[in-house]
Amino acid sequence: MQVLRRAALRVGGRLLSSVPAVLGVVVLTFLVMRVLPGDPAVYFAGGPSAGQEQIDALRVQMGLDKPLPVQLLTYLRDIARGDLGRSLTTGQPVVVDIAQRLPASLELTLTALLLALLAALPLGILAALRPGSAVDHLVRFLCTMGVCMPTFVSGLLLVYVFYYLLGWAPDPTGRIDVFAASPPEITGFLLVDFALVGDGEGWRAAAAQLILPSCTMALFVLAPLARMTRASMLAVLGGDFIRTARAMGLPGWRVILVHALRNALLPVITITGIVFSTMLGANVLVEKVFSWPGVASYALDALQASDYAPVQGFVLLMASIFVLVNLVIDLLYGLADPRAAG
Amino acid sequence: MEITRRQGLMGLAALAAAPALLPGEAAAQSRAETLRQVTGGAVNTLDPTMPGSTRESFGISMNVYDRLVGFGRKMVGGNWVFDHTEIRGELAERYEISADGLVITLHLRRDALWHDGTPVTAEDVKWSLDRHVSSKSLAVSQFQTGSLTSTEQFRIVDAHTVQVVLDKPDRLALSNLAVPYAIMINSRLAKQNATPDDPWAQKWMQANTAAGGAYKVESFRPGVQVVLARNEAWKGGPLPFFRRVISQSVPEAATRANLIEKGDADLAIDLQAGDIAALTQRAQVKVASIPQSNGFTHISFNTRQAPFDNPKVRQAIAAALPYEDMFKASLFSRGRVLFGADWKVPPNADFPQALPMRQDLARARALLTEAGLADGFATTFSFGTSTAATSEPLAALVQEALAKVGIRVEIQKLPDAQLNTLQAEKKLAFYTDSGTAWLPATYYFFYLYFTRDQRWNFANWENARITELSNAARFERDTAAYEAQCKEMISILADQLPLLLLWQPNMDAVMNKAIEGFTYQFYRQVDFRDLKRA
Repeated sequence: MQVLRRAALRVGGRLLSSVPAVLGVVVLTFLVMRVLPGDPAVYFAGGPSAGQEQIDALRVQMGLDKPLPVQLLTYLRDIARGDLGRSLTTGQPVVVDIAQRLPASLELTLTALLLALLAALPLGILAALRPGSAVDHLVRFLCTMGVCMPTFVSGLLLVYVFYYLLGWAPDPTGRIDVFAASPPEITGFLLVDFALVGDGEGWRAAAAQLILPSCTMALFVLAPLARMTRASMLAVLGGDFIRTARAMGLPGWRVILVHALRNALLPVITITGIVFSTMLGANVLVEKVFSWPGVASYALDALQASDYAPVQGFVLLMASIFVLVNLVIDLLYGLADPRAAG
Repeated sequence: MEITRRQGLMGLAALAAAPALLPGEAAAQSRAETLRQVTGGAVNTLDPTMPGSTRESFGISMNVYDRLVGFGRKMVGGNWVFDHTEIRGELAERYEISADGLVITLHLRRDALWHDGTPVTAEDVKWSLDRHVSSKSLAVSQFQTGSLTSTEQFRIVDAHTVQVVLDKPDRLALSNLAVPYAIMINSRLAKQNATPDDPWAQKWMQANTAAGGAYKVESFRPGVQVVLARNEAWKGGPLPFFRRVISQSVPEAATRANLIEKGDADLAIDLQAGDIAALTQRAQVKVASIPQSNGFTHISFNTRQAPFDNPKVRQAIAAALPYEDMFKASLFSRGRVLFGADWKVPPNADFPQALPMRQDLARARALLTEAGLADGFATTFSFGTSTAATSEPLAALVQEALAKVGIRVEIQKLPDAQLNTLQAEKKLAFYTDSGTAWLPATYYFFYLYFTRDQRWNFANWENARITELSNAARFERDTAAYEAQCKEMISILADQLPLLLLWQPNMDAVMNKAIEGFTYQFYRQVDFRDLKRA
C-alpha cells in the first residue's frame, strides 16, 4: 500500500512539474510557426482564379487577422477545451486526424523498437563478452551500417529486394491490403484489433505489412541500443561482484544474464526511452516510403503547407509523449534498481 | 440423350470442384473490375470548392458529382485530350443559347436521380448554382470569370428547366458550368445538414457527399485513400466500366513506379521522369505522354522592379538563354516547346503558342548596353522545392548562361508556401513557376495571368492595351474580331516579354497494358468514367 501511494505521488508530482515545460513548447511552436515566412491563407486560397478577396476572407476565417497575443490566447483557450483546431490540409479537426493516425505510428514504432531490442541486447552482450574479437567487429560493422544508411535508402532497398525482385513482401503501401475489406476499428492497433475479433488471416496480413517498415526502423536504431548495451556490460563485467560470483562457481549464463545484465540495464533503459521518442517523430521518412498513415508524415505535409494547427498539435503531442515516456522510464528504473526508486 | 457412366463421373467431379473454383474466380473478376490508382498527393475534401482543396480532390469530385454540362474529347497524336470547344450535356440532357448570347436554357434529364434515390429537380440545380455565387468558397471567384455573380441570374422555368441569364454575352459563361467547382448538389440532403452559421452545409460536405454522379463514395480517409463504387442508376452518360475505384496516396514516387510495373496498381499520372524512362524501356507497362495543352512553364520577371522594369533587360535575358539545353536538362525533352518560333505576326489566335525567342548572345549584350547595363548586374533566381526536380537543372543553366553576359545570378530554393507568399506579395524579382487555365481560351489566359493586381499576375505586369483587349475579347461575338484581338495580345506579349514562356510539360500517364481510354483532362486528373480494362 505504502509503495503504491509513494509511486502515485511520484507520478503526480512528475506530471505536475512537466506542465511548464509543455506550456513552453506550445507557446514556442506557436511563435515559430508564425515567424516562418509562408502564409497559409495564400497557400490555401491557391485555386486557379482565387484573388486577394479570397485570401483575406480565409485569413479572417482562420483568425489570422487578429493581433498575435489575441491569437495565442484564443489558441490556449481552445487547447484547454481539447480543441486543437482544424487542419486545412485534410479538412478535418486535428484531434480526429491525430486519433486516427497515432495508433498507426505507435504500432510501427513499438514493433520496430521490440525488434531492435531483440537484436541489440544479444548482440551487445556478445560483443561485450569478447571485446576485440571477430564477433565484436561484426556487431560494430552491423551497427555502423544501420546508422549510416538513411532510412529512406534502407527502406527503398528492402522494398526493391523483397517486394519488387523476390515478391515475398506484400505491396508496401499502408497498413493493410487495399483490396481487402476494412479492418475492425477498436483500438486502432491492427494487430490487437484482429486478435480481438479472432481474424487470423487479417492478423497475418497486417503483420506482413508491418515487417518491412519496422525492420527499416529497427536497423536505424540498432546502433545506439547495441553500443550502449556493450559499453554498459563491459563496465559491469569488470566489477568486483562479477568476479565474486564467478569465484563462487555460479554458472556462466547466470552470472551474465542475472547479475551483470540487470546491473547494466539502467543506461540501456534510458537510451531506449530517448530512442522511442525520437523514432515516433523521426520516422517520417519511413512513413513516406511505405505510405504509412502515421502522425509524422501528417505533420510534415502540414509543415510544407504552413498549416499551423496540425504542426502545433503534433508538437504538443510529441511533448506529451516525451513526458509520459520519461515517466515510464523512471518507474522502470525502480524495477531494475531498487536504489533508484527512493 | 443418354448419359454414360464416364460423363456422369465427370459431372460429379466438376460439381465437387466448383465450390473450390468459384470464390477464386469471383475475386479475379472483381479485381478486373476494380481500378487502383496511386497518387503522390491526396484527396483532402469531398467538396472541391473548399479553400485548400487539392487537385486530387477535383479529380474525385468529377467522378462523384455531376455538372450541368461537360467537355467532349478528341484524338490528338494518338491520345485522347479534352475538347473545350465541344460542350455536351451531363445532368442537363441539352441546352440552348439565345441568339444574343444572354440566356442559356438548360433542360435537365427527367430520369436523373441523386445517390439516395430521390429525383433531381430544378430547385436542386438553382440551389447549387446559388451556392456557387454566395458561399465563401473557391467557386465564387471562378464563376465571376463567366459573369456569374448573383443568384438572380439563375431562374427556374419548370421542374426540369433552368435558365442562366447574363448581363453581357460572356464567352465562358457556359464553360464555367463544366469546371470542377460547378458541382450539382442534392439540396434537400445538404439543407438537412446545414446550420445557421453554415447555410450551405460546407462543413458537412467536406466529409460527406450529396451527389448524383457516376460513382458513390464507399469510404474516404482524408490524406490516405478514397474508394468509389459505381452508381448503377447513373443516367448522365454510358455506365462506366469499373465497378470499383481505389485512389490511394503513395507519397514515394519510386514505390508508385514499382506498384504499376508489378501490376498491383493500374494507373499513376505523377511518376518521376527518370522512372518513366526506365519503365518505357522495360515495356511492361503502357505510357501515354500527352502535352499539358492548357498549361505553361515560365520564367517571370518582376516588371515593376529595377532592372526588370526595362523591357530591354527582359529582351536581353530572353536572348541570352539556351532554351534547347534547358528543355533537355529540365524535362528530358518530354513536352511541347513554347520557344523558338519564327514569326512577326502570330500565325493563329491560340494560346499558349510558341513565341519567337531564341539564343543570340550578341543581341543580348547589345540590348544590355542599350539599357545602360553593359557591366551587367546581380539578381536572385527563385523556385519552389516541389518543382526542384525540373527547376534545379533549369536554374543552373540560367545562372551559367547569364554569367556570359555579365549578369550574376544567385539561386534561391524556397518552400512552396514561402514562394507562394512572396509571389502574392510581388517580392520575387526573377523566378520560375508554372500556370494552368481550366478554360484554355486565349483571352482567359491573358485576363488571369497578365492583368490586374492579383496573385496570378506572375510578372506583376500592367499594360493598358492588354487590359482593354482582354476585356473586349471576353464579350466579343464576332469570331474574326475576337481572333484579331487575341493575336494583338500575343504580339504585345512577345514584344514586351513580362515573362518567358518555356514549354508545356507532358503528363505521363503510366498504366497497366490492359487499361484503355485514358483522357488528358483540363483539371489534370483522371476521369475514371473514360477508362476500361481490355
